[in-house]
Amino acid sequence: MGMKFRCERDKLLEAMSAAGRAVTSRGGALPVLSGVRLELLGGALLVTGSDLDLTISVNIEVAGSADGVAVIPSKLTADVVRALPSGAVEVTVADEEANIVAGSTEFSIRVIPAEDYPNLIPAEEPGSSLAGSAVTIDGASFRAALRQVVPAASVDEARPILTGVLMVPEAGGLRLVSTDSYRLAVKDLAGTSILGEDQKVLVPGRALAELARIIGDSGEVSLRLAEREASFEVGNITLTTRLIEGDFPNYRGLLPTGHPNKLTVERDALLEAVRRVRLLAQESTPVRMAMGPDGLSLTAATADVGKAQESMAAAYEGEELTVAFNPSYLMDGIEVTTGPEITLETMDELKPALLRSVGDEDFLYLLMPVRVS
Amino acid sequence: MIARCTVDYEGRLHAHLPEAVRLIMIKADGCVAVHSDGGAYKPLNWMNAPNRLVVDPDTGVWRVTAPRTGDTLVITVAEVISDITHELGDDPGLRKDGVEAHLQELLAADPSAIAAGLTLVRREHPTGIGPVDLLCRDSTGAAIAVEVKRRGEIDGVEQLSRYLEYLNRDPGLRPVSGVLVAQQIKPQARVLAADRRIDCVEVDYDELRGVESPDLRLF
Repeated sequence: MGMKFRCERDKLLEAMSAAGRAVTSRGGALPVLSGVRLELLGGALLVTGSDLDLTISVNIEVAGSADGVAVIPSKLTADVVRALPSGAVEVTVADEEANIVAGSTEFSIRVIPAEDYPNLIPAEEPGSSLAGSAVTIDGASFRAALRQVVPAASVDEARPILTGVLMVPEAGGLRLVSTDSYRLAVKDLAGTSILGEDQKVLVPGRALAELARIIGDSGEVSLRLAEREASFEVGNITLTTRLIEGDFPNYRGLLPTGHPNKLTVERDALLEAVRRVRLLAQESTPVRMAMGPDGLSLTAATADVGKAQESMAAAYEGEELTVAFNPSYLMDGIEVTTGPEITLETMDELKPALLRSVGDEDFLYLLMPVRVS
Repeated sequence: MIARCTVDYEGRLHAHLPEAVRLIMIKADGCVAVHSDGGAYKPLNWMNAPNRLVVDPDTGVWRVTAPRTGDTLVITVAEVISDITHELGDDPGLRKDGVEAHLQELLAADPSAIAAGLTLVRREHPTGIGPVDLLCRDSTGAAIAVEVKRRGEIDGVEQLSRYLEYLNRDPGLRPVSGVLVAQQIKPQARVLAADRRIDCVEVDYDELRGVESPDLRLF
């Protein structure tokens, strides 16, 4: 069946790019998943990309003249649309080709057989396990929370549980937890009650990173939860992700109850200093933080390359102590804290250190040191 | 033989190597390879066995013909610089890389690192298609075949599946179950292993060696 519609280039590009982010980069077993699915019904065009774990659908209004369904190569078509002159774009799909015309430019692109595309039922339709009532949460605070916890989630597929962000109810609000076993991030969103008392879900970090990007400046996120999947709706975009099954590590046992040593330092100054010093922390060498009454000294050294050292003012309570950290994990932690000042609480050089913003009880970043000789 | 020669190949393509000093190797199985002083393992020209080599001592022309395809390699020797023949004897085959072999050794010394109660019957237990790394017995006495890899991938699962098929033909051993052991096991390998009812166990090489890893973990 043919399909024909006309719309603004920017609008189509935005939809293609958003849906395309769920398209699998790996070839995989289903070549059709390298495409995005277009479904035109009247004036509504639904653009969907999926790798079966993550699905992103974007609904845009177009001037439709013939309804239909087609699957077009995702990256190529997005590149083509991006390269077109701005203004109206006309898309016609007939037989095995999609014609994309803007002004005097015309592209013909071979389509992918649409019947091979898996049946992904939109969240709100009957038959979807996600049909039912949605909970609404504030977009800005949810996005900020995601940006704080997602970096600590693992990207190593060998331990799938750790690639997820745990969502659990906590003191009437929502708690987000992530860990890759080297660091742990915990964020409490007070007053955001979206889960039942004993309900907990493990949402892939990759999906939440995309969600944070999609939320942008949008006001609200609607969330629907089912046993095996979760769906987030932001404006005209719906992101659906499979949930990860299994038991998240008992993170509560890792949360320290008291640290004897406490360093208080300007966040931006520390971030800049670590960024400089880490240039000499090559080949997996750590950055050492020496803390004492005189403040903080950062050093990094790589054999046969060189070393870096920087001293900075900092308030310190406790025994003099030097602790070494993986510079990337340390930077990630500092970056996701907020406010002008942060604290680093330590026990000794081998126990987890606690990073948090001064005056912010809702977020913590626990970081394991690196053993040095 | 090290010789100043020209080489002409006639087959799917025509190739001509102008006169220069080259190494010509004729292996015991009949393979002929012409090497220059570079290019690592790759010859400039070669002819796999089986082939037919005819040397004309008067003209110095060696004609190597592949009987199946009719391809010919013609080496015209202008000057022989060195010509030796040496028997290399039996080839012991490719040794596994150091870490993999050492992992096998460490696990043979302590099979309980794979699963509690496991005891070693034999290392490199022979099957009709090659030796399985470790043959063990679990606490109930059941036979367990263990394949040790650095990285557990689909190939490792396939290999162990083949061994299990053979081992399970032995009435003295069956039923034999399998365990794939590696430092890291790929998700696809895990899926295939689960499908074949093969267990997967990841082991920490440093821990087995008694080396303290600098990377401390929260759990």
